[in-house]
Amino acid sequence: MDCRAALLKIEAKADGLLPREAEAGLADHLAGCPACAEECAAISATGPALRALAGIRAMEKAPALDVMRTRVLAGIEESREAHRRRSWVARWAWVPAAVALAAAAFLFYPAGTDRSPFHPSTFDVAVEDVESEAATVALVDKGDDLPRVIWIIEDAKT
Amino acid sequence: MNEREKGGVPDDALIRATLAGDDGAFGELMDRYKGRAFAVAVGIVGDGDAALDVVQDSFIKAYYKLKEFRFGSNFYTWYYRLLVNQAIDRWRKSARSAEVPFDESWLSGDDSPPGAFAYPRTPEDLARNRELGDALQRALDSLPDYHRSVIVLREVDGMAYDEIAEVLGCSVGTVMSRLHYARGKLKEILKEHREG
Repeated sequence: MDCRAALLKIEAKADGLLPREAEAGLADHLAGCPACAEECAAISATGPALRALAGIRAMEKAPALDVMRTRVLAGIEESREAHRRRSWVARWAWVPAAVALAAAAFLFYPAGTDRSPFHPSTFDVAVEDVESEAATVALVDKGDDLPRVIWIIEDAKT
Repeated sequence: MNEREKGGVPDDALIRATLAGDDGAFGELMDRYKGRAFAVAVGIVGDGDAALDVVQDSFIKAYYKLKEFRFGSNFYTWYYRLLVNQAIDRWRKSARSAEVPFDESWLSGDDSPPGAFAYPRTPEDLARNRELGDALQRALDSLPDYHRSVIVLREVDGMAYDEIAEVLGCSVGTVMSRLHYARGKLKEILKEHREG
């Protein structure tokens, strides 16, 4: 076996991938070749050295690793709570808008107009509409002489 | 069965329980993988505190993505993909990622008398040779993140080539060539420290 072939086998050995039947040939070469023997020792040492390095860091951070479960579950609960808050705001954001529209309609409701049932075939949503994730609120203007009405349409309903 | 599950509840069962609302089951998964996850993360980001953040964030991300997990595949390769991506992102944003060229001067500086050197095999061995530990860390830092990820997954975690390829989304051949390159750099550090 030449040194070139030996180097390939050395790396395979370090990786645990050298077939058992090839080990004897490599051992013979290493016994007679100090350069390859040194190469083999150094390559074989990279794994343990890296694991030792990670081990030192793990020992330094052992207390923090011990409470990792608590940290993560707290982080999950925190993000869940933030999501709940955002959902609540989105769900009820239309309420103040509806109140404001109702107040405006009450204040500017034309007196003495005909309040008989109204069955329009077409009309414009002309004044304002406000949307939230939960509902659409619209102030509907049906024409000059007719009262305006407020529509509150919850999402997923018509 | 995954060897990491031996003697315990299978990962799949813990995932199903988590999806059914049992956060304690996810806690079990974390306890199962946090040590290995930390070792991989610290190998990539090089700093213990940053590695803790990476592990924490990757577990939170895994929790929310768990419904995308395909039963029958390995949880740990699925989770490691999140972990390694998180670690690489963290590394790229950190000051440590500022171009660290390989410096030949790291190869010398061991004060040990000739003949007294033994390659470190345990954290205690390496702690006694702090200069070598620092040189190894700098050599790791100097590797491109895709080389660093491969050697850490292989040497620190013990992953198989095909698993590394799955985690990193590359071919087995690419894994092998990156491993060869990275191992060569680290080997030089070790050899030079031995020679003093």
